[in-house]
Amino acid sequence: MRRQVVITGCGVVTAAGSELGPFWDNLMAGACFIGPVRAFSCPGLDPLTGTEVELPEPDAAEENAQGGRCAQLTLAAARRALAHAGLRSGSPELEEAGVVVGTTLGEERQVGDLDDRWPASGADAIDAGFLARSDNHRLATLVAARHGFGGPTVVSATACSSGNAAIAWGYELVSSGAADLMLVAGADALTRSIYTGFQRMGALSKGICHPFDRRLDGVSFGEGAGALVLEEAGRARRRGAPLHAELAGYGLSNDAHHITAPDPNGEGTVAAIRQALATSGTSLEEVDYVSAHGTGTPYNDVAETRAMKAVFGERARQVPISSIKSMLGHTNGAASAIEAVACTLALRHQAVPPTANLTEPHPECDLDYVPLRGRPLRVRTCLNLSAGFGGFNVCVVLKRAP
Amino acid sequence: MSLAPSEGPVSPVAITGSSALTPLGDSPAALQAALLARRSAVEPLADLGGAAGASIANFEATRYANVRGLRLYNQPTRLAICAAKLALADSGVEAAGLRKEEVGVILASTFGHMETLVEYDRSLVTVGPQRTNPALMPLAIPSAPGAAIALSFAAKAFSVTLADGGASSFDALGLGAALVRGGRARACIVVGAFSAFRDLALAAARAGLLAPASEYRVFDRRRSGMALCEAAAAVVLERPEDARARGASPKGLLGGQASAFATGPERLAPSLRRACERALGAAGLSADALDLVSAGASGSRRGDAAEAQALAELLGESAGRIPVTAPKANLGDSLDAAGLLQAVAALSAMESGRAPPIIGLEEVEVPGPRYLVEEASLAARHALLTSVSHDGTCSALVLSRPHG
Repeated sequence: MRRQVVITGCGVVTAAGSELGPFWDNLMAGACFIGPVRAFSCPGLDPLTGTEVELPEPDAAEENAQGGRCAQLTLAAARRALAHAGLRSGSPELEEAGVVVGTTLGEERQVGDLDDRWPASGADAIDAGFLARSDNHRLATLVAARHGFGGPTVVSATACSSGNAAIAWGYELVSSGAADLMLVAGADALTRSIYTGFQRMGALSKGICHPFDRRLDGVSFGEGAGALVLEEAGRARRRGAPLHAELAGYGLSNDAHHITAPDPNGEGTVAAIRQALATSGTSLEEVDYVSAHGTGTPYNDVAETRAMKAVFGERARQVPISSIKSMLGHTNGAASAIEAVACTLALRHQAVPPTANLTEPHPECDLDYVPLRGRPLRVRTCLNLSAGFGGFNVCVVLKRAP
Repeated sequence: MSLAPSEGPVSPVAITGSSALTPLGDSPAALQAALLARRSAVEPLADLGGAAGASIANFEATRYANVRGLRLYNQPTRLAICAAKLALADSGVEAAGLRKEEVGVILASTFGHMETLVEYDRSLVTVGPQRTNPALMPLAIPSAPGAAIALSFAAKAFSVTLADGGASSFDALGLGAALVRGGRARACIVVGAFSAFRDLALAAARAGLLAPASEYRVFDRRRSGMALCEAAAAVVLERPEDARARGASPKGLLGGQASAFATGPERLAPSLRRACERALGAAGLSADALDLVSAGASGSRRGDAAEAQALAELLGESAGRIPVTAPKANLGDSLDAAGLLQAVAALSAMESGRAPPIIGLEEVEVPGPRYLVEEASLAARHALLTSVSHDGTCSALVLSRPHG
């Protein structure tokens, strides 16, 4: 019934690199890119700590004109994923193909620019282009217009699980036969609502984030984007596309617990994992690696550890689980898309990336978090976990290429 | 989103509850009566030089839903919660004792968070970060209205927010149908809501999108833009067998949905036609099986012309027979809620056998389709709903009367 879905292209723009080679090498080395933020500021909180992306010159020149920072990051990741999949802009494969972009904050900085002008200009600050620039749907339509996608163009918002949700909708379309090819992405820029909001809630790290470590004291933010090309396996083979991994399925749940706090026992995460395993026909024993949400807040990391134990039981300590947010910071809606690219690379390289900055585990975090350095590992199946502010949980299952 | 497979029909999903909160009435029946009575909600917007708009007079959320946190939520979130509550009550799902894990929410929302984002972000500038209201921040992100709805009804299967321009509602219905069909929820509330706060209305006016209220009309040669309409609508989706098992009778069946993106203005009509063909294919229907069309025509120069052209080509020889309605002629465009309102209105028209006229249409620009200028009686089984939005998204949805 369901058609097999494969990942034929990946693209990232991150502080750890915007080409897959250096990105993977940096992750495996456990290099932390969190530091002072230069290109963005936030009243009352400067200097900010986080990660920033330096887009190469051609990207910046070509894409600056088109949209805000979030669109720029989306476009840059999408272009890389298409090239990696061996697809040219305007090629016939894209005529019926669609785009799904997940984002937590979208083009919030367009509102920020408007509000900066507000004290001096009042409503005169609203210009003819403001509506279009602040419309998050543009994240998908700019990609579609640039490359010639003629299918659905959707922006999906489930807070910090938005990247995984975009992957899930792409899977739904390709596996059901509604589309043969989908470009799915997650993207977010640094914004002042997320910094000030987390600071006021006491959930922003005072230094750099330490997922699962005794020193964990909150989130470090980052900007970035990740994109993947999903294709029906048979068609991908016929066009001679590289098959990097299989996208085997996904699971969803919602905490409906609190507008900000996750369920303390990770019950929503447990439900999402179980649904992902059941609907993808994956047994617990097949799971070799889990990419954690791992934000570096006690709420998340302890609940996620409990969820792992609830799902895997005795075997929980034998399943490596790591958080690359320890190196990239939390890139919000981009995070789980970038992490899905990391899972794809883990399947290809048969190795798993580490949790950086983890020297002494938190007393309630007692799993194998792959501290400090990546390691070679036989990886058949990865689970990519994500959870969002507001209780949105999405788990994606990736397997070795068929 | 789309649930149109390339390989043939998919099983339909049942609509077991519906609601509408509009300037022309707060129930599907009241809306249908107003459309049949040729009432218009469109009037000049205050402070916007007479630009066209419509709003709900004296909306009191607590009349419809009493949930925690309502006071903090912005207008579209309140509208969405109320519409969801009414549709849930209408469906009987609440009384059927479904577990929380069996209920999901999909919200069509592009702009639902924006008023709160502007309020929060502007206060960072005007009073400084330490004096802002911290409770606003979690409500200032695009997923927040969807989180609020899920929290209001303890919907634990999923809560998703989708934005696809004017096609947001149709895509939300398409995804909802796919998730229900796939067993990810027993019941899925699909809801859309829109309310233009002042900055958003100003931005739309300055973007040149709004018609002067006195000139507002759709499909007409003299149309000059759209009208923004405050409204919300919701439906509850279930698998037909699940609805039957709990003794509920569906109001309609969602048979197919598809969206397409026009990479240039000249691609609008072919893209919509392609979306229609895919949606019809998923429903296992040909265009000549249709009994009713609900067009999304909103007064846009380009959009209405492309929609009419696509319909003329798609319907071919049947075009003279199949009546075309366009509820935005009365209401204006409620963007994120628009497609759901079209769905609710089409279900009412099919159920009552009365298709409302397109008010204000005097001089047709694109000949071919049977634009209803007077009410028509009909014995409708299948309806096609279409929409073309200003950013290039074209979408189609097929609804059918339940069998038997």
